[in-house]
Amino acid sequence: MKKLSLPPVVGRLLACLAGGVVLAMMVGTQQGSQQDYGLSFREAVLDVRIVWFLLLGLLVFVVITYKDLVTPYLQRPGVRPLVAGVLVLIASFFLLTWYDPLSDGKFGAFADAVTGTPQIAPLARAFFGWLWLVGLIGVPVLIAVAIVLRVRVLAWVAAVVAVVVGVLAVVADSTAGDFAGGIDHSFGSVVALLGFLVLAFAAGVVARSTKEVATPTEFLERVMAYRPGLPLVVVGLVLGLLSLTGATWLAPTGDNLTLVDTSALFEGSDLDGLSAAVLGWLAYVLLVVVLAAAGAAVWLRSKPLGLAAAGLAVVSVLLVLITLHGISSTAAEAGYGSGDGPWQNLGTGGWVLCIGLFLIGAGAVVAALQDVLPATAAVSSDAAPVTGSGRLHAAARSTTGRSLALFAVGLALFYPPTANQFWQQSLTTTIGVYVLLAVGLNVVIGWAGLLDLGFIAFYAIGSYTTAYLTGSLPVQPPSWLLLSPLWAIPVAILICLIAGVLLGAPTLRLRGDYLAIVTLGFGEIIRIVAVNNPGEFTNGPRGVATPVPHPVIDLGFIRIEWGNSSLQYWYLLLILLAIVLIFFYRLEGSRLGRSWAAVREDEVAAQATGVNTTRVKLLAFAIGASTSGLAGVFFGSQVGYFNPQNFVLNNSILIVAYVVFGGMGSLVGAIAGAAALTWLPEFLRDQVPAEDRTMWIGAVLLVMMIFRPQGLIPARRRKAELTGLAGHDGSVRPGIQAVPASEGT
Amino acid sequence: MNYLILGLTRGSMYALIALGYTLVYGVLQLINFAHSEVFMSGAFGSFLVVNLVVGDAGEVSGVVAFFVIVLGLLTGALTGAIVAYTLEKVAYRPLRRRGAPKLAFLISAIGASFLLSQLAGKLFNRLTNNTFPDYFNGDATLFTVFGARVTLLQVIIVVSALLLMLFLDRLVSGTKLGRGIRAVAEDAPTAALMGVNIDRTISRTFMIGGALAGAAGFLFGTAFVFSNTMGFIPGIKAFAAAVLGGIGNIRGAMIGGLLLGVAENLIPTAPWTGTAWIGIQWTDVVAFVILILILVLRPTGILGERLGRAA
Repeated sequence: MKKLSLPPVVGRLLACLAGGVVLAMMVGTQQGSQQDYGLSFREAVLDVRIVWFLLLGLLVFVVITYKDLVTPYLQRPGVRPLVAGVLVLIASFFLLTWYDPLSDGKFGAFADAVTGTPQIAPLARAFFGWLWLVGLIGVPVLIAVAIVLRVRVLAWVAAVVAVVVGVLAVVADSTAGDFAGGIDHSFGSVVALLGFLVLAFAAGVVARSTKEVATPTEFLERVMAYRPGLPLVVVGLVLGLLSLTGATWLAPTGDNLTLVDTSALFEGSDLDGLSAAVLGWLAYVLLVVVLAAAGAAVWLRSKPLGLAAAGLAVVSVLLVLITLHGISSTAAEAGYGSGDGPWQNLGTGGWVLCIGLFLIGAGAVVAALQDVLPATAAVSSDAAPVTGSGRLHAAARSTTGRSLALFAVGLALFYPPTANQFWQQSLTTTIGVYVLLAVGLNVVIGWAGLLDLGFIAFYAIGSYTTAYLTGSLPVQPPSWLLLSPLWAIPVAILICLIAGVLLGAPTLRLRGDYLAIVTLGFGEIIRIVAVNNPGEFTNGPRGVATPVPHPVIDLGFIRIEWGNSSLQYWYLLLILLAIVLIFFYRLEGSRLGRSWAAVREDEVAAQATGVNTTRVKLLAFAIGASTSGLAGVFFGSQVGYFNPQNFVLNNSILIVAYVVFGGMGSLVGAIAGAAALTWLPEFLRDQVPAEDRTMWIGAVLLVMMIFRPQGLIPARRRKAELTGLAGHDGSVRPGIQAVPASEGT
Repeated sequence: MNYLILGLTRGSMYALIALGYTLVYGVLQLINFAHSEVFMSGAFGSFLVVNLVVGDAGEVSGVVAFFVIVLGLLTGALTGAIVAYTLEKVAYRPLRRRGAPKLAFLISAIGASFLLSQLAGKLFNRLTNNTFPDYFNGDATLFTVFGARVTLLQVIIVVSALLLMLFLDRLVSGTKLGRGIRAVAEDAPTAALMGVNIDRTISRTFMIGGALAGAAGFLFGTAFVFSNTMGFIPGIKAFAAAVLGGIGNIRGAMIGGLLLGVAENLIPTAPWTGTAWIGIQWTDVVAFVILILILVLRPTGILGERLGRAA
């Protein structure tokens, strides 16, 4: 065999250029034609724009080739925040919308519109005209120069400019938005402000630091451990102030009423006294009181104070919610606005205040929990090896983890009401449901290490069970069995449990890949059965016969009825998810959870140490299946109509991708992975032609696995597997073995 | 009888694709989920070249038809090999260097699969009904067996598939490269110690598998319609066939492919009963049930695994 030997540099150059060409083919609109198969290729590649893509490839090539020259500079303090800031800014200026009422509300189009309208204030026009370019290009260049040459003054200048431009971005956007009117949910300018603040932070780091090599983790840990909970309180305060001053509280028919305006509007109306008080003065008092309590708790690290502050925060949030209900229902009764019931026409203000109060309270909780010994922070079986300055390290990490978790909870609770209809819909039907599915599959794949490619089958079983029990299929259940969707949950879970055991019992002794194809086959069988409609049971490819009814809770004195609003389902989903998460969190550290880890790592050894491997694996399968069934019930009752198309193999594969993308075996990772990857197609809707979204998701998966095979947020135990515990890894040169032999899957 | 022949035709294509799965599994113990896209690219690659060289000439004479088939097979194989080579370079090698967990390979392959199939869709306008021009009358009955027609196309497909499989079998058992592949499959670190260049061997293995799949893509394209999503179903079937025969086992993949093709065409229609037994819409169910039953009875497939031992 002939040896084809190119110098590696040439090979790399060619590869980079080829990458550019591929990128050129990926970007752009659909061009293909059956008459002329070369058309799209010519349009994409034999065009002037190819130069840009080739240059991009060349740039990558240069960076890789001269890596050694650049590396010392790249390690300096401030580089990472600089890059982060620039990325945020690019996202803001080129991907996000700045003004919703325009059909293309992205920055470019909006800026053209603004600069072409002489009535808008000159400062805003200046920002949209040229100032944003100064911010986007000038500031990063300044900071880069400051980093390389170590000029402090330059860094300070850059910081000031960044802050000014950032603030101007928000001011200009709101000026122009107010001028144009209309309902605007966009947050392009806020993200731009965020980006500029990150840049300012980078500049500050450059100006202050004298170190040669950046130590971001250490810095972060110092910040987080300084006063646990403080970051949350600060963020909460900022949001609270925003809400009380500038944000819209009520937005009927295009008006944007701030807190003061709203208060004036309801002067003398039949709004209940409490709500009027909140609008008038109580909101400010609440913020101050909660802030004072939480601030004291955080500063003094006092547990009782922290709990008290948290309690206050909860009460305040409830008061704000009552007020929101009050003003929206009063407004609706008075015929003000177009809503026909409570919770309509609300602006973001009230919800932002809720987030702010929640975060301040959360900061107090973090401070209160801090006194507990760090050792209990690692309840999970993934107890990390505590090394070096162990306590501070562990404390900082648990604080960071808690803060982030609470932050996410706050957003999950109060952000969705401010989003527009479309996003509420996607949040519930795709993102939320698939998060639940990913959490369920994480048990099977991440913990027990069983590759299940037919997970969607249990989802289908859950959905069809619900449809059957609610009488939505051609075959009606006996009348004593006719149930409301919520009562279908235990039945569906039970049925999926049984289905999981039935599938698992004979097949679980199969190893990894055999199991994969068997589960894949099972998933396909279930789907085809649903399509082929034996005994007129599933109503075939048309989907259910009549819509699945919405769930109702009727306790006599209180009656909750879910309707067509996605928001209500979102909260139902949050409750289900919370229950599942708490259950799984406890499960992970339990005897069963540890048995799963043992089976995953080495089945033979696990068996030898007395783990009943078949039983343990079967349990993983059954628990995963029942979670999937639960998601199925939710899905069925939420969408009403569904058909076998919802349960195709591709979805099974995608759920596996979510789990691995997020980080196998970590609950947070599964949530993050599923949320990120289900959010992506919705986001890409505005960026690329609709048919190309799958392609970009594929590209994201590919790139992620190449550069971060362990996933977004890997479980600590898994991470140890991949990188090796310190001192044990050096002996084996990676690459000798085709693949690591240690994996059970 | 008709269904038996149809099953053999389908089965031989499944077998060709299954060989790619099995070869890669043999050396890497990984399922190459992007293999179905290699198959797809073979169809498109051969179509582009054949269309360029021969053009839309309508029916051509016998010699030219033969030339078309050989050209199609070669270019299909070449495209498949190139795509598979790139795939290994991009989606597999960086992960191997990092010692990534097995599932990461699976996901990167899935990502590559989405990317390839949709990129092809973007380039070729996502049409679902591309066909090769009718260069020859493939439906012409060549001969009949027990009253069943055997068409020219079916003979071409089965014969070329068999030839390719024979070629592969010789290659793996007879040449130095084949020895390398078997050595890596048996025990990669030891093979490295014995002077086998693992990276190159893996790369070559991908290329061989890709070439077979690409050729199968051409055959599939001439027999049916082809599109950017054509790889999915045959890919899954071939994967099932590879597992059926014992994944990692070359002869197992051939037998598994043929068996699956015949079984899924024969059993649902059950021609011996005179009526459609359970109907062709159950074809896939039958295929998977057979697979599951065989795996439950014989957990490592019909012939057992290990490339090294079997060939």
